Amino acid sequence: MTAHTQIQYEKESVFIHINVSDAKDKDAHIPGRVFLMNKPEGVYLEWKAEEVISLDGAQSDQDWTMVRSVAYRNDRDSDAVSSMNAKMDSRRKYNISFDILDLKSFKRSAPNHGWAYIIFILKDGTTFPALHFHNGGSKALLKEFEKYVHIRRSPNDSRLFIVIEHDPEMLSKSFDELQLFSDSSGDLVSKFIKDPYTATMGGFSKVTNFLRNVLILEDNPTTRPQEEVADILQEDIPGMEISQQESGFEMITKTKLPPRPTVTRGDALLPGQWALHLDSEGKIKNKEDLLERIFRGGIEPSIRIEVWKYLLCYYTWDSNHKTRQEQRKRNVDDYFRMKLQWKTISAAQEKRFATLRERKGLIDKDVTRTDRTQKFYQGENNQNLLVLNDILMTYCMYNFDLGYVQGMSDLLSPVLVVMENEVDAFWCFAGLMERLCGNFEMDQNGMKVQLAQIHKLMLVYDPELCHYLESHDSGNFYFCFRWILIMFKREFHFHEIQRLWEVMWTDKPCKNFHLIISLAILDSEKSTLMENNFGFTEILKHINDISLSIPLEDTLKKAEGIFLQLKKYKKLPNDIKEILGLDVSPNNSSSSSAHPTPTGTPVNRENSPRLELPLHISNGMNNSGSGTAATTPDDSSIEILTDTVDSAINNYYH
Amino acid sequence: MAGKSKLLKVVLLGDGGVGKSSLMNRFVSNKFDAQSFHTIGVEFLNKDVEVDSEAYTMQIWDTAGQERFKSLRTPFYRGADCCLLTYAVDDLQSFKNLAMWKKEFLFYADIQDGNSFPFVVLGNKIDVENRLVPEEEAKAWCAANGGSPYFETSAKDSTNVDRAFKSAVQRLRELEDRMDIKPAHGNTVDLQKKSKSNPGCCG
Ligand SMILES: Nc1nc2c(ncn2[C@@H]2O[C@H](COP(=O)(O)OP(=O)(O)OP(=O)(O)O)[C@@H](O)[C@H]2O)c(=O)[nH]1
Ligand SMILES: [Mg+2]
Repeated sequence: MTAHTQIQYEKESVFIHINVSDAKDKDAHIPGRVFLMNKPEGVYLEWKAEEVISLDGAQSDQDWTMVRSVAYRNDRDSDAVSSMNAKMDSRRKYNISFDILDLKSFKRSAPNHGWAYIIFILKDGTTFPALHFHNGGSKALLKEFEKYVHIRRSPNDSRLFIVIEHDPEMLSKSFDELQLFSDSSGDLVSKFIKDPYTATMGGFSKVTNFLRNVLILEDNPTTRPQEEVADILQEDIPGMEISQQESGFEMITKTKLPPRPTVTRGDALLPGQWALHLDSEGKIKNKEDLLERIFRGGIEPSIRIEVWKYLLCYYTWDSNHKTRQEQRKRNVDDYFRMKLQWKTISAAQEKRFATLRERKGLIDKDVTRTDRTQKFYQGENNQNLLVLNDILMTYCMYNFDLGYVQGMSDLLSPVLVVMENEVDAFWCFAGLMERLCGNFEMDQNGMKVQLAQIHKLMLVYDPELCHYLESHDSGNFYFCFRWILIMFKREFHFHEIQRLWEVMWTDKPCKNFHLIISLAILDSEKSTLMENNFGFTEILKHINDISLSIPLEDTLKKAEGIFLQLKKYKKLPNDIKEILGLDVSPNNSSSSSAHPTPTGTPVNRENSPRLELPLHISNGMNNSGSGTAATTPDDSSIEILTDTVDSAINNYYH
Repeated sequence: MAGKSKLLKVVLLGDGGVGKSSLMNRFVSNKFDAQSFHTIGVEFLNKDVEVDSEAYTMQIWDTAGQERFKSLRTPFYRGADCCLLTYAVDDLQSFKNLAMWKKEFLFYADIQDGNSFPFVVLGNKIDVENRLVPEEEAKAWCAANGGSPYFETSAKDSTNVDRAFKSAVQRLRELEDRMDIKPAHGNTVDLQKKSKSNPGCCG
């Protein structure tokens, strides 16, 4: 730190959680310090990983155990110092530093969360991992922030806070861009009359957001009565109906979905319960009960090694002890037969076998970049990497047409960790690929279809968000690509992905549940995306960056809730029913399958039966299909908008 | 980001595993992560730089190198201001594929005149012992390809990374200046269009 740098705020015991499952794992939470620093070039927020103290006797117990665990992992590596350096490097990569003028918004933890955390989001969409204040101090930090930026709370998401742009030049620029008060503003209105849909989604949502900002920025901080805001809107949008009681000012089109029911999740299937599911011959008594149980709560880790074999079609559901033994024997023979096929290819042969060479090269490169932060795959010369390699090579022989495609190593990795056995892992992986091989087709058609399906679902579930995305070049849902390709593998922590996958492998509560999970995640990000007015690149970046900070159980609950809403919706179009595998009733023949929505092309909005025109104003986001609006008290009054962070926070915790 | 600077879209291309993501992370955050994942989909990072006392924000786009994902990668080429073609000096095939990458880029970025587009070529992993591509060969390729600047880099020990990225901006400025001097530039467009519409290209 130079002499010019002044520390405005400093707090120790601020952690980044990189593996939340394992509280015993010393590496799960990286300790660090948060600083707010006044530097010559600006005010910076920084988080720095705590340094590991050197190996002399001065270190604390915690550091000692940390070093030991490294030494344990790299058991061949006796050089504890170098492993400690490597550890420090791997921690420093989480260091955070940004100019607070780049801050766009931040998200706070829910009040019932154990300790407070803050997630910072920058103007370009960059989203940092949550900073967990184990020793408090988050409020104090935000108070410091207030000295430099104006902050308001989102009316739609009480955890979200937005930094208000207060550069006057920026304001006049937005005026110009909108041309709100120039002659051409009439243009917008006439456009609206001709094509209410596009005009509303593209133009007016900007207008309303914009007005909201202007109103908050008034010198005189007293709140304007809602009527006045409504008047302003009405002047520009003749004929608009404004609901006075409601507090948001977003123009939306609503799908009147039934309210979202409360969904509860259960406990994991325990070994004792699993044993009860088997009869004396080892046959599963009631597959449906079992699947329901797994869907609701997952599987206790120690019995995954058995239960996953059913879910991944290694064993059939009607197998018994005896048939399974035979099956295993066949699987072993088959596996080694195929493994020998590539193992016995000589170097000379390989020279004339470009396809194999290519695949070998790819697998080799990818295996060394698969889950290396997991203990199971950590350290140089880790034998488990060889097993990954051999299984993937053998899979190339098993399914030569498909071969190896990037992403497969991500899918195999958790399976191998659970199976701890090459042959079993191979067959379970092969079963998993049965489900997902469409994602890896040469023409990528399977991926395109699924992204288009998310689009269709979103259009019904939440037209407002859907049109926001469309009008920000994101209607192709490309930003969900990684989610779908490898079943959210990179989006959740390692132990969570095992839970998520076993839940999804039950094929409950419907077909393509993973698409509904995508909706649920996007629903949770909606306020962040829309209120920050993120465009294509910011959306992409934000969605990439929220990986590893998506709450799994909440997301699963929300997703099931959304499914139940859709299922109950009387006007659910047939094409949506087909995606979800619901009964297509013959009397609902006015379906939209007559005008399908291929990827990339805009949907035919005029004819869309599920959209209720004319548009009206309501308090936007909460209402568009999220049933919680009915039950939770509406905390989004306009007063909160003008609150200082401090009182907003007090409100929040009151 | 905070100041006023010109936004430049930079596309990083090259075979899987040559070190594109590592180079980007080294340049933007000065970090090298030996435990990193291979890229799925598209990622980008912004970095503010000053070149010849002008401020730029480089928006660096990094994609997955495998052929299979071509259709999901190529839409991101549009609007690029410069392109970094990357290979690894210990991977002969990745060097041979440079021409393919260049062709794919020009086609999907819809660029008429490849020689006046700022490419920079990076030979990465210069820190490794078993180098397979001789420096002379790489330089010869660059000379034959519009005289693109060439850098031998290491994302691991950070050799030349900063220089290589910044040279992309310099190259852009250079080529823009040249175009300004030649107002007759427009005349050549037709010819180039013809050669570009060659249907076999990258299709
Ligand atoms: N020795 C050395 N290794 C490097 C260097 N740069 C990258 N690597 C390693 O090479 C491997 C590939 O690097 P990535 O950055 O993932 O390669 P990429 O080009 O992004 O690959 P894809 O994402 O698959 O397209 C990783 O294991 C890196 O650690 C380098 O300069 N020197
Ligand atoms: Mg990469």
